[in-house]
Amino acid sequence: MADPGNRVRIAATDCLTPFGDAAATLAALLRGERALKRVPVLGREGGDLVPLALIEGRALDESEPPEWLSPLSRLARSIPGEGWGSARRPIFVTGSNFGVGALYAYRRSLAAVTQGTASAAGLEPPKEDFLKWGDPGACVARLAREFGWGSQVTVFSHACVSAHLGLLQATRALEAGLADEALVFTFDFLSPFVAGGFHALKILNGEWPAPYENRPTGAIGLGDGAAYAVLGKGKGDLCLAAQNLHNEMYHVTGNRPDGSGFAACLEPIVAAAKGRRVWMKGHGTGTLEAGRLEAGALAQAFGEAPLVGWKGSLGHTLGSCGVVELSLAAQAIRVGRTPGTVGSRAPALAGAVAFDAFDNRSFDAVVCASNAFGGSHAAFLLAHA
Amino acid sequence: MPDPLNARLKLLVVETLRLEDVAPEDIPDDEPLIGGGLSIDSVDALELVVKLEREFGLKIASSEESRRALASISSLAAYVRERGDPARLAS
Repeated sequence: MADPGNRVRIAATDCLTPFGDAAATLAALLRGERALKRVPVLGREGGDLVPLALIEGRALDESEPPEWLSPLSRLARSIPGEGWGSARRPIFVTGSNFGVGALYAYRRSLAAVTQGTASAAGLEPPKEDFLKWGDPGACVARLAREFGWGSQVTVFSHACVSAHLGLLQATRALEAGLADEALVFTFDFLSPFVAGGFHALKILNGEWPAPYENRPTGAIGLGDGAAYAVLGKGKGDLCLAAQNLHNEMYHVTGNRPDGSGFAACLEPIVAAAKGRRVWMKGHGTGTLEAGRLEAGALAQAFGEAPLVGWKGSLGHTLGSCGVVELSLAAQAIRVGRTPGTVGSRAPALAGAVAFDAFDNRSFDAVVCASNAFGGSHAAFLLAHA
Repeated sequence: MPDPLNARLKLLVVETLRLEDVAPEDIPDDEPLIGGGLSIDSVDALELVVKLEREFGLKIASSEESRRALASISSLAAYVRERGDPARLAS
């Protein structure tokens, strides 16, 4: 599913991480800072300490209204332009865990009341209000009202390539002449349910993530993240020169051992990057097997191009990571410095992993890649327009 | 005579994963559990890990450790003997 997309530009982009906006986040990454902190995996119910990066002032536990609503509103209100959600200015909202934290919070409080342990556990009685956030449609409809958006809002949720899917759909709407500008808005905020799931898989295991580092044990961190990208044809100094999504149809939690799924996704990106000097921002969560396959496939496709990953600092921001990291890559291009792979050190699993920050002014473009449960791979080429 | 812990673990595997066409005694001691003839995948492994932690009061720290423990029934038995709660091992 390749799309040339070479006329679509990034008119504006920004993100929200525990460090702040894209400028503040990039500055922190360039300083090698880690946003992750060790937090009880089940929030106020405790459990093992695991690395999570929560935006300032937010507890892991769900609240009503959600503690993330206020900072997300600030991000939404900073989006330039008016009339978002109208016929010619559609919105594509993406994320991977819409509402699941609210459902879990409702279920947890209900169970505590049933068992008579609510007050002892510090839990309040079950709140029907949680359920208003409990599915993607309801959640996004409430946000649209809050942000003053119109009705042209499409929701995509496809695990950790959700944001890439939004970018491609927005690009298609623009290429087909169905829109003047398109907004991709993405967010994922952590909950005990999500953290507990990754903890059960033993990949969120208390160790700090070290993407692409060759070490005995893999580990990931998770992070809150939100971001937007305004796509259009006329404005912006950067463009999406190529995009691709690919599903290898192999296994829900594993990749083909030969890495062919990663390679297949990169094929149109390689073609579009021909003649350009690129650096690469990989998915790099910190798991060993996927990290080895991804770094190997990127090295096979782009030779000695330097590869960085930022989830060792920010954690994996799940469905939002594609646009969160797009906004950071765009910021890196503008300031001329690319943060290194924070939290990792040599030796690398494969490829030319850049552990330290480097000057990117001699490069023409950046390859940004993400992967997801379900065998999904995504990548795009961000280049000067 | 079969090792009692091996036999217990084989029963645990069959019951936890609801393997309808497999009898516990059909599972070899030294063949791979994951990716072998039982067609156990990583999602099944997650279920097994949760069950093992509850049954034997042990804690598996990472996905690499769980993969090593689940390499075979024999390796799993060795892991459980080393890490499990002795009181639960005896039951």
